[in-house]
Amino acid sequence: MAQLFAGLKVLEFGGGAAGPFGTRYFADHGATVVRVESRQRPDFIRLLRYMPGDPAGLDGSHMFAMVNVNKYGIALNMSHAKGPEIAGRLVQWADVVAENFAPKAMAKWGLDYESLRKLNPDLVMISTCLNGQTGPDRNYPGFGGQGSAISGFNHLTGWPDLEPLGPYGTITDSLSPRFVALLVAAALVHRKRTGQGQYIDLAQVEGGVVCLSENIVTYTATGEILERIGNRSRHAAPHGAFRCAAKGDDDDRWVAIAIHSDDDWQKFRRALDDPPWAADARLATVAGRLAHVDELEEKVTTWTRTRSAEDVMTRLQAAGVEAGVVANFEDLVNDPQLAHRRHFREVEHRVIGKHLAETNGLRFSRTREEIRMPAPCLGEHSEYVYRELLGMSSAEYDALKAAGVFE
Amino acid sequence: MQTTGGNLDGFRILDLTSEPGFLAGKLLGELGADVIKIEAPGGDAARRRAPFVGGRDDAERSVLWLALNTSKRGITLDLDRARGREIFLALCEQADAVIESTGPSDPTSLAARGLGYETLRARNPRLVVCSISPFGQSGPYSAYRGSDLIAVATGGNMYPTGNPERAPVRCSLPVSYYHGGIEAAVGVAFALYGRELSGEGQFVDVSLQEVMLIPNMTSPTQFPLTGFKGGRVGGGFRGNKAFFRELWPCQDGYVSFALRGGPARIPGIIAFVKYMEECGMAPAALTDHDWTKYNHNLITQAEVDEIETALAVFFRSKTMRVLFEAACERNLMLAPAYTAREIAASRQLAAREFFVDLDHPELGTAIKFPGPFAKSNFTPIGIRRRAPRLGEHNAEIYGTLGLDVATLATERVI
Repeated sequence: MAQLFAGLKVLEFGGGAAGPFGTRYFADHGATVVRVESRQRPDFIRLLRYMPGDPAGLDGSHMFAMVNVNKYGIALNMSHAKGPEIAGRLVQWADVVAENFAPKAMAKWGLDYESLRKLNPDLVMISTCLNGQTGPDRNYPGFGGQGSAISGFNHLTGWPDLEPLGPYGTITDSLSPRFVALLVAAALVHRKRTGQGQYIDLAQVEGGVVCLSENIVTYTATGEILERIGNRSRHAAPHGAFRCAAKGDDDDRWVAIAIHSDDDWQKFRRALDDPPWAADARLATVAGRLAHVDELEEKVTTWTRTRSAEDVMTRLQAAGVEAGVVANFEDLVNDPQLAHRRHFREVEHRVIGKHLAETNGLRFSRTREEIRMPAPCLGEHSEYVYRELLGMSSAEYDALKAAGVFE
Repeated sequence: MQTTGGNLDGFRILDLTSEPGFLAGKLLGELGADVIKIEAPGGDAARRRAPFVGGRDDAERSVLWLALNTSKRGITLDLDRARGREIFLALCEQADAVIESTGPSDPTSLAARGLGYETLRARNPRLVVCSISPFGQSGPYSAYRGSDLIAVATGGNMYPTGNPERAPVRCSLPVSYYHGGIEAAVGVAFALYGRELSGEGQFVDVSLQEVMLIPNMTSPTQFPLTGFKGGRVGGGFRGNKAFFRELWPCQDGYVSFALRGGPARIPGIIAFVKYMEECGMAPAALTDHDWTKYNHNLITQAEVDEIETALAVFFRSKTMRVLFEAACERNLMLAPAYTAREIAASRQLAAREFFVDLDHPELGTAIKFPGPFAKSNFTPIGIRRRAPRLGEHNAEIYGTLGLDVATLATERVI
């Protein structure tokens, strides 16, 4: 069966991860995704590890390569007088326009939705920035680190006696792409049925706050401010990461264990061959375990510390107890379950060479995701896209190129 | 059914999920789908989770339940009974999608009850069925159990989160359920789109472990190239030569600010130095630095330390609100680590009419909720109704099947 979005045409402006990871869903499922970039102002993730004099130049960024597999890349100088006009022709080609610039950028080039709709009446367009397209703080220039803080994740992550942290990887940058995929897919369903396109404004902070509805409603309905509590749970114990035996010279090995019910606790005791401390009647109930959680966590650690994280996971899971290795990046690329799902797949990038790329967390029974091609070098597919997809004559292409429009 | 004008108007979704999947049905409902929450007659476990509105342990008062089950109707149905399963199949004939979150080894899974995908498909080939599970439906860990803590740990997002001297740490609320919930909604929307083309539904398999991989922002895929396994650095980040602090105590909380470089960020750093200068708090280490050429991979730890000492003093002298207002006015990449209190009072969210007051007449109160997760110009997105009371729509929904709720109650099916 053909891929789900075979034939769908997506035009992408912007950079970073919050937008580009969103269009990846469509690219992995067969859509033609064209990224518009410019040497005049490169995507900041092309510059993350950039060092002056590096021969790889703007094409050596690992992160850019990994985020943008399966996409075509073209260069278009929006500051050139001809830039916006060419962009308009790309919009006429597209079914979907996705952009994640700050709110002013697209309007400045005359590429706001109302203008684009005149060129392509049933266009689906999505804009995603931190605070949304309206409101007094719409131009606030934030990235994911700021989004995570403003939407409440940082305050809720870390230890009660230390600074707030935020989950690794600036979480609104990974929640937002999922919202982008959902919103665009729902808009495409609507367009299939009605012929109507639409414009979507996704504020990354708002998406994050909706996810954290429990945080907000706890406060608005009860007055309580939720605080970060490390790995503990208000409803379960033990519930945390416990130190395990070193693996070679790596003494930073941990296993996560979650005991929810009293039945779980009995299974846990059996899996540990019922050490004397676990027979303590005070620990038989959730309330008792929560009341003695400091002591309990110490006891669990005495058991895990002499065992490998992998062995603890296997042994507890065999007994029906929730446990998992606290995986580091090396563990992930060797993880048998992720291998079974083919999470990581190899592609060959023109500058970086062979590298792993990854796909999202869902699989379909009738249609497949595929990783077909590496991320584009800057402007790599300009000629293909302008000539083949837009049907530009070679004379026009050459003239525009010579004039610096495709820089 | 009610017309909402949303993108998914007219689609009916049966939502059998527990907490890991609550968000999926909520989002689909807020896009206009007719989402029907199906609970066992005793009610979902979340209804018994504190805190409760008004402090009273009551199935209709759990914050967790109320917060994440908006825009759904609700019925009860006992799938342990043959009659219940028969009625479920009848509901599937009229539905477009089913979402569930038990996990393949769970004795209460649809498959364990003889209601696996092939059975449902035989009754309705157009049906989309989406399962959210800890590790996925097949593979070496598929029989393993796991809640958020396990998904975040095995998905690699916990190891690099935390302070170096302590254990890896998760967010105190279940982020894998948020990632997984949206992912499931994506899966349903994708499969519904595919059905428009092929006429057939399909099965969607969401793994909570796997949804936690992309949040690591490509670091795992970089391991074979860099050998970097990850590590905990507290509230900060590492450049090529130095460690940078990113979370700073201020007068009444914390703010996020870091000396991250790149053309998009340098103007913000320059504006920040100017702001400190205007406050008379910028030492020479800041004002004499040529920020126009700043690259955080080139600056040394000694230079960073000197600058950050001045930053620490500056932040401690101001409140979150003052700093954030300055950030918005001066384009500084600085953000407060907001608690629910400040989020509820945000001027930006107020101007966008983000929060909605939802009437809960049975509780004698209206409760302020986060509203639409996005805005669309033609097709409204947002909360359609408050979370359902236990069995609230039994009569309404079983009525459409020609079933009498009194009889069903006598048979203890609902």
